[in-house]
Amino acid sequence: MTLQDLNTHAVSTMRRILVVDDEPDIRANLTDILGDLGYEVDTAGNGNEALALVERKAYDVALIDLKMPGIDGLELYRRIKKIHSATVVIITTAYAGGDTARAAMAAGAWEIVSKPMDFNMLLPLIEGALTQPAIIIVDDDTDLCDNLWSILHDRRYRVGIAHDIDDAQALIEARDFSIALIDLKLPQGDGTQLLQLIKARQPDARAILISGHRAELDDAVRAATGPSPDAVCYKPIDIESLLTTVRDLTRA
Amino acid sequence: MDADLLFERYRELQAYVGWTEADAARINAVADQVEPHLSQLVDDFYEEITRHPDARKVITGGQPQIERLKGTLIVWVRELMRGPYDRDHVAKRWRIGWRHVEIGLDQVYTNVALSRLRSGIVRVIQQYWRGPVSESIEMIESLHKLIDLDLAIIEDAYQCEHLKRQAQVERLAAVGHMAGGVAHELRQPLNVIRSSVYYLQHARNPTPEKTGEHLERIDRQVKLADGVITAMADFAKLPSPRTEPVNVSQCIMETLETIRLPDSIELNVDCPATALMQADASQLRIVLGNLIRNARDAMRDGGRLTIDVSALGEHVEITVSDTGGGIPPELLPRIMEPMFTTKARGIGLGLTISRAIVTKHGGHIRVHSEVGGGSTFTVVIPSAAAKPSDTGATQP
Repeated sequence: MTLQDLNTHAVSTMRRILVVDDEPDIRANLTDILGDLGYEVDTAGNGNEALALVERKAYDVALIDLKMPGIDGLELYRRIKKIHSATVVIITTAYAGGDTARAAMAAGAWEIVSKPMDFNMLLPLIEGALTQPAIIIVDDDTDLCDNLWSILHDRRYRVGIAHDIDDAQALIEARDFSIALIDLKLPQGDGTQLLQLIKARQPDARAILISGHRAELDDAVRAATGPSPDAVCYKPIDIESLLTTVRDLTRA
Repeated sequence: MDADLLFERYRELQAYVGWTEADAARINAVADQVEPHLSQLVDDFYEEITRHPDARKVITGGQPQIERLKGTLIVWVRELMRGPYDRDHVAKRWRIGWRHVEIGLDQVYTNVALSRLRSGIVRVIQQYWRGPVSESIEMIESLHKLIDLDLAIIEDAYQCEHLKRQAQVERLAAVGHMAGGVAHELRQPLNVIRSSVYYLQHARNPTPEKTGEHLERIDRQVKLADGVITAMADFAKLPSPRTEPVNVSQCIMETLETIRLPDSIELNVDCPATALMQADASQLRIVLGNLIRNARDAMRDGGRLTIDVSALGEHVEITVSDTGGGIPPELLPRIMEPMFTTKARGIGLGLTISRAIVTKHGGHIRVHSEVGGGSTFTVVIPSAAAKPSDTGATQP
């Protein structure tokens, strides 16, 4: 194992999966099957239990039953997305199709899996989702974050969102990621500080700095004593070129 | 419809309009005079029909179909004028109404077009009438009676067939809805079974305890799936109740024995020990079981379950109340619909079956619910003391 590997693994932990289903037997079975494969599995029997867990831990994947008493799967997904948007949410349902399933996909669920679950399909789906590059967006403009989330999510990136440096720090400490998109101007400081932190904690991660002022960004990059960004991006963001940059950086 | 029954009905209608053999004789007497004008009368009739776009659109076969229909109508007028007004005559009229549903012709057009045909026939007869005016008036009255009778049979057939088809469409929709609900309820246990099988096949080092656990789980879920199928089968063929005097208190206690209530629910039962209802005990246990389980499920965080019985002369009233969250007013009208449920598990047949049972007993179910104030379901069943002979089984 190289030093770089060690560094990476200092952040990365066991892969965490949250199973939410009101059927105790299916919770037990998924714990057995996923646990046997080496995942760390937590379970919740309803939406409130699930939210309490999500507040404490960042899950890589959540398997959520669509039809539950109280908060249903779709509403739960929406709330989890607000707390931890990088979690890959797979909705499970015993209904073949239907409007709710479509709504779940529209809201950004990773996949809908019908019950009875086909594990030869589900397990590669989970593993495949976990190998997709993770991106964090740090910007205080919530609309921009939501738009970028949707655009990147549609291209199968896992996307975490932070609106200030504290949020961003929590994300960086919690999980490995491939790319950080950082706004130069943040509520409690500037993006170059965050850039420094990222490079220190996750040397493999790439960083893209974003700013509305070309001159300001250029000055900041020049003035910064620490590491330089891997790419820069000016607002209004040209989505096509951003996607190309993201693709190139994740491949490199 | 049965030809004999139909003819009987026709005879009733004949009596109602005061139809006699004399009416028949008057019309038969002018049949020869009308005969040469049949084709002109029928042409005029179809001219009227084809003037209305909604009526015209049901004639999809163009001119050849119209010619065919004209032929049929000529026969109809000829039979109208000549009789005999027997079983066969009535059955043919019935088929016209049936046919109109088949092709989607609104009865409005039958009415207006027949009105035109009616005045056409009257005109022809008046033109050739050589007898006393008073007799011509009688003759025309007889003709009106006859055409109205024909129309009544056509209308009756139309309504009958129309309702039958509507019911079919509704039944089909209900079946689809039910199939969806049953699919969901069966896939849940299948999901557990399939995942246990996957674990047993793929687990790296399952302990004997783990293996046993999964086998038990499979067994339990097979029972659950079987329960869903049993509920469906019960619903599909609910037998008529075989009623006898049943001690209400005993019936409630027997039902409670089969239901597990958590400690957080306080149970109060207030029932006169001697109250008797005229009921099928096994079916009433299904009703009470559904209501008690619903009450329990409405109080996840605990509460008070109250069962009150009062014998009110001809009826026994059993109320099952909970202190749960209550039912939102917009859902209240739907709670007894088949496959309607707010529970995550359950096919939504409990209240539907309960209502069907109580109705077959000649009773009814009422519900009172307020959001935040809990729900009260009241079952009203004939008391055994008041009507010992009434089996209730013959109630619709």
